[in-house]
Amino acid sequence: MNTDDLIRTLGTDVPPVRRGTLRRRILGGIVGGGLVSLLLIGWTLGFRPDLWIAMHGFAFWMKWIYTASISLIAIAVTIRLARPDAAPSRLLWLLLVPILLLAGLGIGELAQKPARDWLAMWLGGSWKLCPWLVLMLSMPIFIGLLWSFRRLAPTRLRATGAAAGLAAGASAATLYCFHCDEVSALFVLTWYSLGILLAAGVGALVGPRFLRW
Amino acid sequence: MQLSEEQLRAWMTGGLDGDAAAHIALLRALAPMLRNFYRRRLRGAEDDIEDLVQETLIAVHTRRASYDRDRPFVAWLYAIARYRMIDHLRRQRVSVPVEALDEILVSEGFEDAASARVDVARLLAGLSPKQARAIRDTHIEGLSIAEAAAAARIGESDVKISVHRGMKALAARIRGVRP
Repeated sequence: MNTDDLIRTLGTDVPPVRRGTLRRRILGGIVGGGLVSLLLIGWTLGFRPDLWIAMHGFAFWMKWIYTASISLIAIAVTIRLARPDAAPSRLLWLLLVPILLLAGLGIGELAQKPARDWLAMWLGGSWKLCPWLVLMLSMPIFIGLLWSFRRLAPTRLRATGAAAGLAAGASAATLYCFHCDEVSALFVLTWYSLGILLAAGVGALVGPRFLRW
Repeated sequence: MQLSEEQLRAWMTGGLDGDAAAHIALLRALAPMLRNFYRRRLRGAEDDIEDLVQETLIAVHTRRASYDRDRPFVAWLYAIARYRMIDHLRRQRVSVPVEALDEILVSEGFEDAASARVDVARLLAGLSPKQARAIRDTHIEGLSIAEAAAAARIGESDVKISVHRGMKALAARIRGVRP
């Protein structure tokens, strides 16, 4: 087709694009994928039976705020990287805030408990499963983000894949809080973070392949 | 003729608001810009270049949600063009160093687009409309004194005086900001 004809064809389909469409598209992908992850938790893992009581306690919110804040930062970075002229983002430094806060709580925990309890506290009852479950639950969200990117224009594909994986992992971990009954800050800092990092790693690995356009 | 960032951005925003005519005008203007861009960088067959131009126009069309109305249009455009070129080279399995986006904007004649324009617009906003227009026409859009005078329907000496006084006021203001 010659270029003039192409332009004429493209010109027949010009739907309005509102301000903030990019942001809504990314959030749409995350929410859509997140609903699938939530269903997966409901069907396969089950919500923790004492969820309501736990939501009145400190440990639940400690975990939830940790993962949710990482998720928000990662989403902001992902939104930036969806533009072709994205500059390297300094937002990632913000991740230090939740990590250092949780590490502070973890040190407090160690100080309160005798050294012989440390290992049990750190490993909890589910350290072997937790990172893998977070990774598994992140997949629907990551796929949702791949959908979002179909109309967006990332040019740094590996970084974008990593950011999308981080956002998917942290969002999945936030939902996983509804199942998991671990209470230790050190547990969360290690095993939740490991699951989130795995998701980011997978994102970085497959980003150049799946985000290509 | 080099189109200004303002004109391209106006068409782009029009298209985003659903104005098909503005969108077509934009794509028509972009085609020669992109052709030059690729020709200068790839000494390949004309067919390849036209393919790249078309792919880029399609990307500009389908991925326009990735444009932020508050940011320079040409930076967005050339970022897409640069990506399409890298992808093209990758498919051909050649590795050629590609300039960074900032360098592209400079070599395509849009060095102001990324940063300076915002500041200039802010500074000009503090002048009288006549002075601001005279400076914008002659120093940014690159019109001659005669063209600027005709466009603003004022005398040539009036343009010269407006530029001179406006520049003096700008200089004073900049000195005031950064003593």
